[in-house]
Amino acid sequence: MATTEAAPMDEKAKRMRDLLSSFYTPDPSISTTTSSISTSFDNINGPSFDADQYMDLMIKKSNLDVLLQRHVQMAAEIKNLDTDLQMLVYENYNKFISATDTIKRMKSNIFGMEGNMDQLLHKIMSVQSRSDGVNTSLFEKREHIEKLHRTRNLLRKVQFIYDLPARLQKCIKSEAYGDAVRFYTGAMPILKVYGDSSFKDCRRASEEAIEIIIKNLQTKLFSDSESIQARAEAAVLLKQLDVPIDSLKDKLLEKLEQSLDGLQINPEEASKLAEHNDSSKDEESNNEGPAKIHEDAVRGFSEAMRAYREIFPDSEERLFKLARALTTTHFENMELYIRKRVSAADFLGIFRIIWEDVVLMDEVLPEAALSDLSAEAAQVTLKQFVARTFSHLQQDISDTILKFDINQKEVVDGEVLKVVLEASGKAVLQGTADIFQDFRQLLDENTGIFVKMNDLLIGWIQKGFQDFFRSLESHFLVLSGKTSSSNETEGVTEGKSSEKIHAGLILVLAQLSVVIEQKVIPRIAEEITASFSGGNSQAFIPGELCRVFHAASEKLLQHYIDTRTQKISNVLRKRFKTPNWVKHKEPREVHMYVDMLLQQLEEVGKEVKQILPQGTFRKHKRSDSNGSNTTTSSRSTTLHSDKMARSNSQRARSQLFETHLAKLFKQKVEIFTKVEFTQESVVTTTVKLCLKSLQEYVRLQTFNRSGFQQIQLDIQFLKAPLKETVEDEAAIDFLLDEVIVAASERCLDVTPLEPPILDKLIQAKLAKSKDHNNHNTASS
Amino acid sequence: MQGGSSGIGYGLKYQARCISDVKADTDYTSFLTGTLSLKEENEVHLLRLSSGGSELICEGLFSHPNEIWDLASCPFDQRIFSTVFSTGEAFGAAIWQIPELYGQLNSPQLERVASLDAHVGKINCVLWWPSGRCDKLISMDEQNIYLWSLDCSNKSAEVLSKDSAGMLHSLSGGAWDPHDVNAVAATGESSVQFWDLRTMKKVNSIERAHVRGVDYNPKREHILITAEDESGIHVWDLRKAKTPVQELPGHTHWTWAVKCNPEYDGLILSAGTDSAVNLWYASASSTNDKPPESPVGSTRQRVNLLLNSYTDYEDSVYGLAWSSREPWVFASLSYDGRVVIESVKPFLPKL
Repeated sequence: MATTEAAPMDEKAKRMRDLLSSFYTPDPSISTTTSSISTSFDNINGPSFDADQYMDLMIKKSNLDVLLQRHVQMAAEIKNLDTDLQMLVYENYNKFISATDTIKRMKSNIFGMEGNMDQLLHKIMSVQSRSDGVNTSLFEKREHIEKLHRTRNLLRKVQFIYDLPARLQKCIKSEAYGDAVRFYTGAMPILKVYGDSSFKDCRRASEEAIEIIIKNLQTKLFSDSESIQARAEAAVLLKQLDVPIDSLKDKLLEKLEQSLDGLQINPEEASKLAEHNDSSKDEESNNEGPAKIHEDAVRGFSEAMRAYREIFPDSEERLFKLARALTTTHFENMELYIRKRVSAADFLGIFRIIWEDVVLMDEVLPEAALSDLSAEAAQVTLKQFVARTFSHLQQDISDTILKFDINQKEVVDGEVLKVVLEASGKAVLQGTADIFQDFRQLLDENTGIFVKMNDLLIGWIQKGFQDFFRSLESHFLVLSGKTSSSNETEGVTEGKSSEKIHAGLILVLAQLSVVIEQKVIPRIAEEITASFSGGNSQAFIPGELCRVFHAASEKLLQHYIDTRTQKISNVLRKRFKTPNWVKHKEPREVHMYVDMLLQQLEEVGKEVKQILPQGTFRKHKRSDSNGSNTTTSSRSTTLHSDKMARSNSQRARSQLFETHLAKLFKQKVEIFTKVEFTQESVVTTTVKLCLKSLQEYVRLQTFNRSGFQQIQLDIQFLKAPLKETVEDEAAIDFLLDEVIVAASERCLDVTPLEPPILDKLIQAKLAKSKDHNNHNTASS
Repeated sequence: MQGGSSGIGYGLKYQARCISDVKADTDYTSFLTGTLSLKEENEVHLLRLSSGGSELICEGLFSHPNEIWDLASCPFDQRIFSTVFSTGEAFGAAIWQIPELYGQLNSPQLERVASLDAHVGKINCVLWWPSGRCDKLISMDEQNIYLWSLDCSNKSAEVLSKDSAGMLHSLSGGAWDPHDVNAVAATGESSVQFWDLRTMKKVNSIERAHVRGVDYNPKREHILITAEDESGIHVWDLRKAKTPVQELPGHTHWTWAVKCNPEYDGLILSAGTDSAVNLWYASASSTNDKPPESPVGSTRQRVNLLLNSYTDYEDSVYGLAWSSREPWVFASLSYDGRVVIESVKPFLPKL
């Protein structure tokens, strides 16, 4: 029950509020719509409430108790509503009363106001009229005052303009150019307008003054003694004065450019510069060297650049260009300079100077990327320097070799070849050592740029050495005349000189190649690995170079032998071409050509002795086996006489057979063995080749008896001296025999000379040559 | 040292200098060789390589009146050949014909077709018209060069034209250009000289002393190869004859003869007095783009140029001939009368 009690209570309050609000709302439909939704006929608060119906519904629906209850409830509600209504009415009434009171009070307040307002209006009106009166009365005066004021201003300006020249002069005197310019620019509009009429003189005077100012400013700008600040100000002032500053700038920069010439390192003076640079470095007191002067000049230049940069901020490009130009000319001059021979110290000296210059300029113009530029240029220069150093060395070596004016006599008599070899060997050794020293110096240098280029430099040096030795080798070959035709252009120029080269020099070159192979290259390889252990030693391949020079030395030695044998061949050719061998007369003496042959061989011997080492192995064997030598020689002579006897018996057919048989039994003599770098080997090879040539020449001829005998005599005579000079006696014996055999084969009537006659003729020849020698020594 | 013992040998009785390929023999690979003996009766041997290529058969043996200094087979008739001979005091040259049915005769005699007897000096060589049937011949002595017209049927030869090289030149040999039948090269004391046969005048020369042998490259025009006493072998381009196109080191002693292979371009054979025959490969292509390269490269190249050295000889080798029928076969003749036939087939794949 309690719950049912509570719910209607709430419902009741709500209904009350609705009712009251509907009471106050002007439009009842709004409130009813809300209630009409929830209510129907039985809704007591609805507008369509029908009491009768409600009653009927109530009676029908509920019993008495409920009705009673309802009744009580409704009565209470009605009572409540009554009191509420009463309260509302009362409140409204209260409000109404107070509103009426207020209106009453307002009415009484407003009543006296209108009069006051009228009064106010009057007063305001009178004030206005009065002020108007004042205004009109003061107007004229005020106008006058204003006019006067304007005139005064104008007069002041006029005064200023009239004073301007004097003022400007004053400014000039006191060098207050800034004020002067300010005055002048201030007066400028007036002068522009009235300058042609009233202020003519004034304008002229001030313009003159300004001209002076401009001049002064310009001189100030140009004078190097002024501070940069002052010069910059001058530039600004000039700009304010509408002076074409660009042309000024151009002029200044041109001046700067001209000063560049003075800064250049003259190739001629470079070395002096470098020297003094060094000396000034050594002793600090000596500051007056040209290096110092140069440094000051560059310092001045960079200062000037700094100034101009500040003065003309828009001129950077130009300055960059200038600085770049200076750097490049530096390096160009450097290139010119190193075209001559330059020591690494000098080179470094110059390089340092240039680098200092670059650093100085770089400080001023870091944006110009001078260090990059100079790094590139320096790389090029350094590379060139390395290349040039090597080419100089090569030139040196070839000069040393060619320096000696060798003629035949000197070579044979003196020790010229030895001297040449020693000198050139020294040149190579010393030269490479010096070069290495130089490069060491370069590598030890630690001025900025070098540090960066160290790796590159090492590469270049290695490659330089490699290329140097290669070109030296080909140069040797060209010098020797061996490969004059390898390169046609080179062949034209070098061909002539190579024609002249003495055979001995080829030998020198050969031995020099050996020296290079065995001493120089290993040493350099050692030094390179010692010094550039860090770097990659790809470029310098000592093994390959050794091979190259080994091949070259062999080639040159072979070439020496070739040229020598060629000479001898010519002697022999003449000998065999000239006489008619078929109609030869009886031999009376040993023929002249034998002397020439021996002389040639003697020359070879002497040349070889100067240059090549003795073959120790052979020497030992020879001294040891004297006995066996005699046996072999005796054997060959018996064989020889045997042959003679047989051929004498006119059984030539069997003779050929015999020869073959003899050859079979005789150990096949190796005629053409490999040439070794010993005196004996070279001489032996030469002799062997000559004898072989002799044999071939003999084979081409046909002899009568006397012709054969002549050959026999000549060969017999040759035997002794040849054996003296040659290590491989067996081979010589064999070859000499071969010549005789060839002659006998080509002879129509083989009748050898009797041994006594042979002996007699040989003795006669020996005596004669002895005589000749004695005579020669006596006469000399 | 024992280079190739693969060669097929054949011994002549006496010493000999010259061997010639019988070009006209299309059925067999044959060579003609003649002995050089002052005092004995000289012989001309006709050698034939057996079909298996394993044996050298003496097909004919003919006596020749004098020692033979030069021998050349006729390019169009296998029975005809020329010799240059010496009696010891005088030289002569003749054209010979091998008699028919020589195999059945006991001692067949050579028929003398014609004598080239206009010479007075020492005759060096007789050259046949390089190819095809033509009756022209050239003979050279030390000073003169003769152009002959040969009439085989009438057994006569007459001089068409001659020119003198001059006393000083002393010609020693020559070659007929296979590309230009009007050009002949002759080796002299101090130069190689060239004649135009139409005018019979000297047209050109290469200044080169002591040239022993000369041969035209049959596969390539203008290319000439010379062998020199001391300075090896040189390849020349006749259009720019100032400097050689290529140099080959040659032999330890003199290089006596050079022969270009008739079929394989660049294959050169040289014979030397160091008792060796060298097989070279000197391709013209490698000579054309021969750059001034590093010395090492060129030496390597040079080493590679020598394909093989045949050293199995007892004496100087003077005679050398490629077979035109089997161009990989060559015959060499050393002074002791030994003919050696070798095949260069093992070296061909390298080319």
